[in-house]
Amino acid sequence: MNMTSPDLYTRIVSAKLFMDEHFEQAMDLGMIARKACMSKFHFHRLFKSVYKKTPHAYVTLLRLERARQLLQSGTVRVGAVCHQVGFESPASFSLLFKRQYGTPPQCFRRMSVLKNKRALDQPALFIPRCFVNTYALTCLEKQDTVA
Amino acid sequence: MITKLSHASLFVSDLDRAYDFYVNKLGFRVHTDVAMDNGFRWLTLTPPDQPDLEIPLLQPLHPGMQQSDEVREAFRVLLENNALGAGVLYTPDCRATYEELRQKGVQFKGEPREQFYGIEAIILDGCGNWFSMTEPKSH
Repeated sequence: MNMTSPDLYTRIVSAKLFMDEHFEQAMDLGMIARKACMSKFHFHRLFKSVYKKTPHAYVTLLRLERARQLLQSGTVRVGAVCHQVGFESPASFSLLFKRQYGTPPQCFRRMSVLKNKRALDQPALFIPRCFVNTYALTCLEKQDTVA
Repeated sequence: MITKLSHASLFVSDLDRAYDFYVNKLGFRVHTDVAMDNGFRWLTLTPPDQPDLEIPLLQPLHPGMQQSDEVREAFRVLLENNALGAGVLYTPDCRATYEELRQKGVQFKGEPREQFYGIEAIILDGCGNWFSMTEPKSH
């Protein structure tokens, strides 16, 4: 996009950073547009032009990504994750998560727990052999053999 | 038949700093992060929209990576001089991303400039690498 005023970039970016920091809370377009000192319509148009997605789609993506990180850690249950990242409906969260990452959140969390356990028990199995050979990671070769 | 690039390593001077830059500032995702008993850490990242391109961050100065003193010294000089990298990072809007990353404390070699291929700013990762951050010209 070719916005002539650098000030417009600063305002759009400020609103985006506000979304980055507060996406877990309830927010509406009017609230975000006010951060950019613009009308809802003007902000929506400029935001989409810069980031190629609507503010609503962007906040949804932030929430899904944070949910993915929490589920990947394996320490938080799916229901708690849903509410923690700002979704109100577990059903729509589950649907959106599967659409974005190809796996339902329950399944993603289960696989992550298994992967984390394996990473703790047998870290050498996560490192491709070519890297071990190239950089002579001999300590890994021993562990790999033991595993 | 080779069909795509699946892994591309980046050599960095410090893994924790690199993690902060690529994950917290640029928004890359952690694919694998495992630590060995000897302190060697295998950390791989993926760009936000490329989940199948894994980027192992390698710390060539770490004692866990065994190589000759000559090679280690060469890496040290290259990393200290930001001489590695030369990849291109895609952005849909260079000026907006420049403004955002500047606010997050990321270092650039100057402001975004128009080039024949698009709008470009040179970004430093603070760990030895530089990249072109480019918004390609729409055709």
